[in-house]
Amino acid sequence: MTVPPTTPPDDVAGGSIYGPARQESDLFQVVEPSQGAEVFRSQLSSVGDVEVLKVENLTVGFPTEDGLVRAVRGVSYALHEREVIGIVGESGSGKSVSSMAVMGLLPKGARITGTISFRGQNILSMTRQQQRSLRGRKIAMIFQDPMTAMNPVYTIGDQLAEAVLSHEVMPKKQAMARAEEMLALVGIPQPKARLGSYPHEFSGGMRQRAMIAMAVINNPDVIIADEPTTALDVTVQAQILEKLIEVKDAFNAAIVLITHDLGVVAGMAHRTLVMYAGRPVELGKTDEVFYRPRMPYTAGLLGSIPSRGETTRLRPITGAPPSLINLPDGCPFSPRCPLATDICRTSEPELAPTDAPDHLAACHHWDVLAAAPDPTAFFRTESDARK
Amino acid sequence: MAPFILRRLFISFFVLLGATFIVYVLVANAGDPRSALVESADPGKATKIASMTRNLSLDVPVIPRYFAWLGGALGCLIGKCDLGNTSTGASVISGLSVAVGATLRLVVFALLIAVVVGVSVGIVTALRQYSGLDYSVTFLAFLFFSLPVFWIAVLMKQFLAIKFNDWLRAPTIPPWAILVLAVFLGLLAAGVVGGNRRRRLAAFAGAGIAVALILIYLSVTDWFAEPGIRPAIMIVMSAITAVLSTALFAGFRSRTVLYATMVTAAVGVICYFTLDSILADPTVLLILGLLVVALLVSAAIGAAMGGLYRSQAIKACMLTGFGCAGLVFAAQLLAAVPAYSAKVNGVVIATIGATTPNFSGNFWETTLDQLGHLILPTIAIVLISIASYTRYTRSSMLEVMNADYIRTARAKGLTERTVIVRHGFRNALIPITTLVAIDVGGLIGGAIVTETVFGWSGMGKYFNDALKIPDPNAVMGFFLITGTAIVLFNMIADIAYGFLDPRIRLS
Amino acid sequence: MSTEEKASAEDRAAAAEGSATSSTAAQGLTIVARTQGQLVRRRFLRHRAAMISLTILVLVILLAYTSIGFAGIPGWWIWNYYTPAKVVNKGAPTLSLWPTFLGGEGFAIGVHPFGQDDLGRDYFALTMRGAQISIMIAFVVGIVSTVIGVTIGALSGYYRGWVESGLMRFTDVMITIPILVIAAVLGQRFGGAGPIVLAVVIGLVVWTGLARIIRGEFLSLREKEFVEAARALGAKPKRIIFRHILPNTVGVITVAATLAIASAILLESALSYLGFGVRAPDTSLGLLVSTYQNAFTTRPWLFWWPGLFIITIALTVNFIGDGLRDAFDPRQNRVRA
Repeated sequence: MTVPPTTPPDDVAGGSIYGPARQESDLFQVVEPSQGAEVFRSQLSSVGDVEVLKVENLTVGFPTEDGLVRAVRGVSYALHEREVIGIVGESGSGKSVSSMAVMGLLPKGARITGTISFRGQNILSMTRQQQRSLRGRKIAMIFQDPMTAMNPVYTIGDQLAEAVLSHEVMPKKQAMARAEEMLALVGIPQPKARLGSYPHEFSGGMRQRAMIAMAVINNPDVIIADEPTTALDVTVQAQILEKLIEVKDAFNAAIVLITHDLGVVAGMAHRTLVMYAGRPVELGKTDEVFYRPRMPYTAGLLGSIPSRGETTRLRPITGAPPSLINLPDGCPFSPRCPLATDICRTSEPELAPTDAPDHLAACHHWDVLAAAPDPTAFFRTESDARK
Repeated sequence: MAPFILRRLFISFFVLLGATFIVYVLVANAGDPRSALVESADPGKATKIASMTRNLSLDVPVIPRYFAWLGGALGCLIGKCDLGNTSTGASVISGLSVAVGATLRLVVFALLIAVVVGVSVGIVTALRQYSGLDYSVTFLAFLFFSLPVFWIAVLMKQFLAIKFNDWLRAPTIPPWAILVLAVFLGLLAAGVVGGNRRRRLAAFAGAGIAVALILIYLSVTDWFAEPGIRPAIMIVMSAITAVLSTALFAGFRSRTVLYATMVTAAVGVICYFTLDSILADPTVLLILGLLVVALLVSAAIGAAMGGLYRSQAIKACMLTGFGCAGLVFAAQLLAAVPAYSAKVNGVVIATIGATTPNFSGNFWETTLDQLGHLILPTIAIVLISIASYTRYTRSSMLEVMNADYIRTARAKGLTERTVIVRHGFRNALIPITTLVAIDVGGLIGGAIVTETVFGWSGMGKYFNDALKIPDPNAVMGFFLITGTAIVLFNMIADIAYGFLDPRIRLS
Repeated sequence: MSTEEKASAEDRAAAAEGSATSSTAAQGLTIVARTQGQLVRRRFLRHRAAMISLTILVLVILLAYTSIGFAGIPGWWIWNYYTPAKVVNKGAPTLSLWPTFLGGEGFAIGVHPFGQDDLGRDYFALTMRGAQISIMIAFVVGIVSTVIGVTIGALSGYYRGWVESGLMRFTDVMITIPILVIAAVLGQRFGGAGPIVLAVVIGLVVWTGLARIIRGEFLSLREKEFVEAARALGAKPKRIIFRHILPNTVGVITVAATLAIASAILLESALSYLGFGVRAPDTSLGLLVSTYQNAFTTRPWLFWWPGLFIITIALTVNFIGDGLRDAFDPRQNRVRA
């Protein structure tokens, strides 16, 4: 897990972003927000009023030989100017697929329902031409692995210029000049010379910067970043994330940040959406979700993060995510949930408001979590207590 | 780059050396060229046997004989080639030079067609994976791949030559044939177009009806007896060429490129009308010169009218110019068919040899003669090679289209055409080019069966006849040329790979 | 560890593997573990073209070897391939397939279903004999070339230094000689020594394509972590090659071997056609076509039957190879429309 380097100096027993050092006997200590994360997130500029992207009840299904894979089952969120929303979940939770649906990059056989509105217009009911004119221009995407995401036989400059020329007609020289500007903006040294380099001549971090440049070169309103730092070294990750924020502010864009890394989301997102088995299970302001989770899965995720100075065993969530072809009845998390009761196994909970405003959770027993002093405690086993 | 080439040449030289040694030893042990004489009842055979022994140094043991031959062969590097004599005393070099020319004429043409058609079909089936078209093409590819050349050749000689020549005397197309062809080409068009049912149905109907109308017109006017390209047809086909070139290189988003190609097509049509006198009996040089002029003029038109799309306009115009030049050439060629047919007693498609013996005529008639003899062996070679090109291109294209950078290209908002051509095909081209280069290397000695079956006096037949004896010097001469070609083109393949793929640039 | 700790540790370990224990049973799903071999077999059996081809090929092989007998064991067909018989129906085939209600003569096999040759010998028996020889040669060539190709490819792919360069240069030398050329030269010398000798000799020179492929596989596999791990444990190269790398190349080898058999049958028929392969008094499908190619206009059946068998055998083996290739390739992502 990566943490933006703003933690306060630690004690002998260590401290984490989630609170001061915990004493061995304080198993049920209340976790207070630390100064570090708040400071970092306060550096994010304020969120605008205009709603740029609104996803309503998006479902995506893939017909396969073994049955229909229901990858996304009802995702809804709204995104405003300059806002960063983090979508968190494990592999197979549907986070990438929902964003591919927004971009219109799903394979032909995919079955999509719901609405995706960009500035009020439903993308899903547009013609292919109209969709294509939005792609890369108003809504841009940054992918996970920059090495394979760029064509190895064309120079960086060519590929950047291509992004410009596909939406605007201008002389090639002008497009190249714009490409050079972008390379400078993302912090690549000697941008003019670098225009003629090939992707394999860049380092990993520089490649991802070039990808960011390619995404923002047409001044988009929405940037979707799909695990942008997963393939990079830890030291480079922070730089890239910082650069992403800079760029967002420079262009007044909104970011959809998809990741499985909670630390990244904690430092960067205004709001967090947690997904499980194709459905959103918790949505709210990042602070709310992290310090007052109302869905056991989120609590389990938070509890499984190792923190500095902790000497107890790691606490993973037992079990595995369900198959998306044969989903069990009821809440898909119920087999692994320590709070599960009969109602959980028969009826799937809706994403509904909890005690705080705008904090939604899909759990029948969110109130149990609200009442507990340490929600992550539910995932500890007896052997932990003995240590 | 240069040190790499030199090092490769050095290694290749020794590889070739080793190969010649192996082949020499094997051929020397494969039999005795004098055995036919020994078994014959010729009274003067003793002297003949003695002279052959002297001629081919058959009394010398194999290894020193090899080095003697090698000495002569190495002389080729300094211009003094001596590859010895055949068992009949003729010079190997003179026999080979004739054979090489004949083979080159055959294989270059066949390879060009096989590559162009094979790669195109491979790309289309890759883009329409798992469709009906894909399965049919795959099945056909497997079928052609499993065909023995010599067997299919007999069928071709009967149906594509003899029966076809007979049909030419009264060339009407029976209605059932029109129906079958229209349905077949309609299905093909539907498969290529892809998309939803309505689009495919439209393509099927459109193509089917167009084909039916064309065939009816051809049949009713007895076109095959007196072929030619009438002015109206020329205009239509030039326009179609212009449209297709634009579609391939630039798409129709802006009309600039389309206008440029249309102008090029118009120039082509003008040439069609005005160049008759120059093209009455031209030489090969004149034809080539005119082609170069045509390409330059097209490029100029593209550059002048291209505006913001200059580079694409130039490419599209050059393709249009090439196409129109081809149409003009074809028009002249077809116009000469009746005269040619009269001269050869109606045997338009020939089954044996490279030319009709004792034939004389103007440029067009001679060209027709050569083409008529080329058609069958070319089709045979194309049938066999096309299968592997199609399959190889298909798998290469599929692998490329599943790559991440294709997804990025789409995410940038590029048109599907740009994604496929500029990103997909460009990357799929790399391994295909290697395959083509290696194939070219192997072709010079590879058409052995085809040449034997069609009586084509090229390298293959040379080898076949030589090995039957067995004639050591002749076989070695054959191998020297084919081995050198293979080694050379393998090297070219590697260089081309480095050229096309910047990740493997040779340091 | 105490029993409870052990139990919970096992639980967690099992959960980590996702195998069928209490944790997954609670999800209502059973996960059935399949071996690699079972997965491959399942995928292969689903490949319709390959299954049809396999059936046809097996039928053809059975027909060829049991009908007229082989290696002393007698067959069930009444005629043999070397004794002339009384000429019936002017030597034309007595096989008729066109049903009577469509205007034909009904279904009948007749005395000589494939007709007779110019000497009156039963052509079905002759074709079957040709098929026997051709199939045998194809399989022997396939096996011999696979063994040699895998050996050379594995050794030159695994070892570095002199072994690698030496074997590679040798392979390069063999690649420089076109296959048909060297096969013809060898056939000229050994063709008269019988089909098996011919097959072995040809197998000795056609392994270059296979060697290259195997070498490529070994080159990439030798860098994998499990090889490094094995080496760190002190495993000898022989063990690494046989126990670790080779099993991972089984797919590639099988496919390549199958395609080698298919091309061997075409190679053999081409050689026999040119006169450098099987010689009289033996016969093969290629030799039959060569002998009777000029009879196409007068007695076409002499030409059709052997050719059809060559095509059938080559085609079915090719399809089986394709099916195997698809079965071994885990990257199949077919979306049903």
